[in-house]
Amino acid sequence: MSLSSSLNTAISSLATTAEQTSVLSRNVARANDPTASRKIANITTIPGAGVRLASVTRVVNVALFNNVLSSTSSAAGHGAIVNALEQLEQTTNDPELDASPAALLQKLSNALQQYSSAPDSLAHAQAAVSAARDIANALNRGSDLVQEVRSQADADLGGAVENLNTLLSRFESVNTQIVKGTRSGSDVTDYLDQRDQLLKEISAEVGIRTVTRGDNDMAIYTDSGVTLFDVAARQITFQPTPFLSATSSGNAVYADGVPITGTATTMRISSGRIHGLAKVRDDIAVTYQSQLDEIARGLINAFAESDQSPVPLLPDVAGLFTWNGGPALPGSTLTPGLAGSIRISAAVDPDQGGDAMLVRDGGIGGAAYVYNGTGVAGFTDRIDQLIDKMSAPQAFDPAAKLSSSASLGNYASTSAAWLEEARRSAGAEADYRETLLIRSTESLNKITGVNLDEEMTLMLELERTFQASSKLISTIDSMLESLLAAVR
Amino acid sequence: MKTTFISTNSISASTRQSMARVQQQLADALKEMDTSRYADVGKTLGYRTGHSISLRQEHARLTTMIETNAMVSSRMESTQSTLQNLVDTAKDFVAQLLGSRGGGPNALSVQTEAKSRLEGFINTVNMAFGSGYLFAGVNSDVKPLSDYTSTPPSASKQAVANAFFAEFGFTQDDPAAANISAADMQTFLDTTFSALFEDPAWSTDWSSASSQNMRSRISSSELIETSTNANESAFRKLAKAYTMVADLGVSNLSQPTYEKLVDQALLDINTAIYELGTLQAGLGGAEKRVSDASERMTLQIDIIGKQVKSLEEVDPNEAAARISQLLTQMEVSYALTSRIMALSILNYL
Repeated sequence: MSLSSSLNTAISSLATTAEQTSVLSRNVARANDPTASRKIANITTIPGAGVRLASVTRVVNVALFNNVLSSTSSAAGHGAIVNALEQLEQTTNDPELDASPAALLQKLSNALQQYSSAPDSLAHAQAAVSAARDIANALNRGSDLVQEVRSQADADLGGAVENLNTLLSRFESVNTQIVKGTRSGSDVTDYLDQRDQLLKEISAEVGIRTVTRGDNDMAIYTDSGVTLFDVAARQITFQPTPFLSATSSGNAVYADGVPITGTATTMRISSGRIHGLAKVRDDIAVTYQSQLDEIARGLINAFAESDQSPVPLLPDVAGLFTWNGGPALPGSTLTPGLAGSIRISAAVDPDQGGDAMLVRDGGIGGAAYVYNGTGVAGFTDRIDQLIDKMSAPQAFDPAAKLSSSASLGNYASTSAAWLEEARRSAGAEADYRETLLIRSTESLNKITGVNLDEEMTLMLELERTFQASSKLISTIDSMLESLLAAVR
Repeated sequence: MKTTFISTNSISASTRQSMARVQQQLADALKEMDTSRYADVGKTLGYRTGHSISLRQEHARLTTMIETNAMVSSRMESTQSTLQNLVDTAKDFVAQLLGSRGGGPNALSVQTEAKSRLEGFINTVNMAFGSGYLFAGVNSDVKPLSDYTSTPPSASKQAVANAFFAEFGFTQDDPAAANISAADMQTFLDTTFSALFEDPAWSTDWSSASSQNMRSRISSSELIETSTNANESAFRKLAKAYTMVADLGVSNLSQPTYEKLVDQALLDINTAIYELGTLQAGLGGAEKRVSDASERMTLQIDIIGKQVKSLEEVDPNEAAARISQLLTQMEVSYALTSRIMALSILNYL
């Protein structure tokens, strides 16, 4: 051992301390960045030559990180569903406001009841027609809203797919850096942080599983097993539909050429925003649309007129309510888009030059359908029949996922109940997923994040080391000096 | 050596997140205290929202039914009082007829009296109610009885004159009427004259009313008749008796013939009074059913109102208690945040 080797050791200590300080200051700088992980400078001792910085590593917790990824996916998926349901809820709103189709149906029935108590009153007839117009308009608006929600979901799917492609290509460049850096042994921890952040963003769009291989290389698969990234980013494709109608369904999303949305595919993803949006577009909104269509069909059928001739030959036709396919009746099964085309017949609409009194007399479908043959003003049989038909059970298509036999009013309130229940359970599920996400992010951040106090105490240690090493150098210097003085 | 570790960021994040959650809850609780209902009824009730909507619709249906029942009731009340009016005037006329049975100059005054009573009777029966006529049956937009004394002579008056002329060969005010025997007069009254107040003559000359009464739905299951019509026998008999005295030239008749006619008129009026009573009783029964139905529905409405409340209502006291709890929680959270933030090793270096 010589003084000069001691000097070298002290100098190596100074250099290493400087390296450690730089890692420490990187930590402090990103103390408030929730995505940052704590970096640790690893020091090794070189026999006889002091110390040096061996490597920089970061604190990771793979289990917690995977938790964060999966809860990000499900929170994003449920969030998209809740958003859509919140919009659809406009059709029902607070029960107190009496704005739901069920309430408007009852208003129509009430108007008819009042009309029945004064069948000769034009004002009551017009009130009944205007109540009928309200429910037809509400169904039209409801149908428009549902299609708007679907179109919005379709457009959002387009956005999500585009975003996913961008994220994957960024992932590709970061991953290449990491593999290269790992092979050459340089510090890749910042790239790793960046890659984790990208993974979080990708998992918000689609549920993923990751596999880490040698040299820190990573492959990404969807939760259904389709490759999103393996050495190179795979193309996610989706053809948006500019405007969806009740009779059209949107396109599926393809990853690497395999469909990952839609009921037909076996590789369907089960979480992430893309999953949520596809569920809204292809399932929830479609079901609600069919419920509105069934209410419209029930209305048209309940108000249908039948041939009143002594020997009836003509088929039943649409009465107060008609549709694009009128005057024929819409039949006994679901007719997609009916809620969008239901309207009151021009023959009874005073605004279109019609006669509101036809509600009492019948004959909207033509002379053969006149119920009040003698034309008396106090004729209430037809009105009473209509009130009865509105409250009588009729058959509904089970495809709308509600009861197959119910009165019109009941069916409408069951539909509102279906919507609110979907909203409640989706809301509760989203809240739960969101909390889970917050908790797992918190736990991850607790372990991998930076603690300023600790960094500060570390800094004190470094400061002391630096001071001691400096002192050593100056002491060795003075020792060398006294040695040289003795020699001189 | 290191046992536990926590990052600075997660400390501040957790207090921040809990504050946001508390504030959200506070907004909901404030709304619930104001309205005494859940802040978001649909989201809280879920599938039970359908129940709430159904109950509200039932509430609206019953309220409408009670409203229309009130209208039906007032129509029936009006009918009742009109019928009572007809009974009262008929009774007055009976007294007058009895007083003037002696004939002579009384005959002329009773004839004039009968003319005005006939007009009064027709006016009363033609009483309008709301947009229709009370006694028109379902034909409510048409005046039930046509005027008797009008120019040109009404079909009913013409028919009476024609019948008289066909029977006796001269007109009602011909002095020759004094020669009509009591028996001939009785025959005329029983046959030709009577036929004028039976169908088909009645419905062509006198009445445009429908024999079918108005039917009203007074509850979800009850559909009952709630009017009467001018074709009822009581109205025909009254019309017949008034016309008999007013327009058969009673002042020209011989005393026995006159007495015969007055007796027949009295008989008809008394029968009519009896029959009006039956009509009133029938309507009274309907009125009772309407008021019973309304009463029943009012009870139902109360129950439904309670059910809706039990579904949607929040106890405002409970909401208020929750608010003060949340406020305390927020204060604690703020105090803690500021103290934690102030706690840094930097202050001691």
